[in-house]
Amino acid sequence: MELIDRYIYEVGRYLPRKNRADIQAELRSLLIDTLEAREEGEPGEEDEVALLKEFGPPAKVAASYRPESQYLVGPELFPIFRTVVGIALLVLVVVHAVLFGITLFTNPDPLKALDVLSGFTGSAMSVLGTIVVVFYVFQYFDIRLAKPGQEWDPRELPVIDVKNEINRSGTIFDIVLTFVILVIVLVFPKHIGVVVTPGTPILQDPVIASHIPLIVAALIAGLVVHIALFWRGRWQLGMRLAIIAANLFSLLVIAVLISGHGAWLAQHTGSGFFSLLSNLPVGEVPDAALTLVIVMYLVQFGLIIAMIVTVIETIEVGYRFIRQLIGWDLALSQVASQKDDPDL
Amino acid sequence: MDTTIPSDVFEKLVQELRRGVLVLATLSQLGEAKYGYSLINELAEQGLNIDQGTLYPLLRRLEADGLLHSQWNTAGSRPRRYYVISPAGESLLQALSDEWRGLAAVLDKLLSN
Repeated sequence: MELIDRYIYEVGRYLPRKNRADIQAELRSLLIDTLEAREEGEPGEEDEVALLKEFGPPAKVAASYRPESQYLVGPELFPIFRTVVGIALLVLVVVHAVLFGITLFTNPDPLKALDVLSGFTGSAMSVLGTIVVVFYVFQYFDIRLAKPGQEWDPRELPVIDVKNEINRSGTIFDIVLTFVILVIVLVFPKHIGVVVTPGTPILQDPVIASHIPLIVAALIAGLVVHIALFWRGRWQLGMRLAIIAANLFSLLVIAVLISGHGAWLAQHTGSGFFSLLSNLPVGEVPDAALTLVIVMYLVQFGLIIAMIVTVIETIEVGYRFIRQLIGWDLALSQVASQKDDPDL
Repeated sequence: MDTTIPSDVFEKLVQELRRGVLVLATLSQLGEAKYGYSLINELAEQGLNIDQGTLYPLLRRLEADGLLHSQWNTAGSRPRRYYVISPAGESLLQALSDEWRGLAAVLDKLLSN
């Protein structure tokens, strides 16, 4: 009976505490019933082995006593889970790559940069863990992502509309990029700046440092609309309007930053960027004040480029919005499908 | 043409077929109280071989659903848990039997064509 004892004990380890003892007792009586019914006289170890093999491995037997379909993240949620994990990992990789670069250039001790890399494992684990916990809560309380109590109506299936499908990888790129900048601005605001000689404190961009809440608001707005866009998977009039609104807000913030840099530069330097460059001391490391001026110029150029890109994107979305609004696309596609029909 | 059935596919389909009728077979035999091993024996004698690992957990699930009642009986050589059908189980058995007979009749017709 020793094998049976060990078996029962092992099954118990996988059973919920609540009715563990009861199931164990029943299992024991069933096993012994079967064993005795089969064998005349004293059953040997061989018989026990054969019987237990029939019953199956302890973990499997215990599982069959638990309610069906136990999931951490069930099949319905899994595709979304996978996308979220993918995006989160991408953000983590980029953030750490950026931090690694910054640390490498700003810190005299190269080992510090390796610290950043080793920190990646820890952050990846905690981020993945958090995602799993959130999804498990959804799973546990059986929260459907669709509205509850609403019957699914096939007539509400989206119309096939290839032209208005979003560019998924492009949208993911936007989400990841915005996320990365957001994380850096929120978590490492003191790292945004420049270091002249390794070991000296970081010279912060004073304009950016004083506008962090505004920048964060613009980034979150962009993030929200792009996640919504990704979720929908298609361009709709409302979606386009939301993107335009978020872009206009970003443009406002960028404009504030550009004018802030302009004012700062006017205060701290009399000459323009190119005369400044031509007057640079040759063969020497420029001092902190001069470096900051150069950096402020560069940041301003970057902001102007960002502004141009955003303006172009906004105009494009606006143009498509108007086309969709007027319904040219629809009319054109009808003409096209009528042309194609005879071939079918 | 290859007419051999992949054995794992066959096994899986047979299991699925049997799983459907298992509840019906179990409820039908529990008009009087029985313990697990006696039930499995009785079913086997009448030609229905059920895996022990399938039947025992099923008995507990049916009990949790209120279709069976159970009780430990210490009168025999060792304690045994006896299961008997509940009133709710009786009415379910009635409804399921009708369902089964209809299904069996239809399938007979389909398969004889």
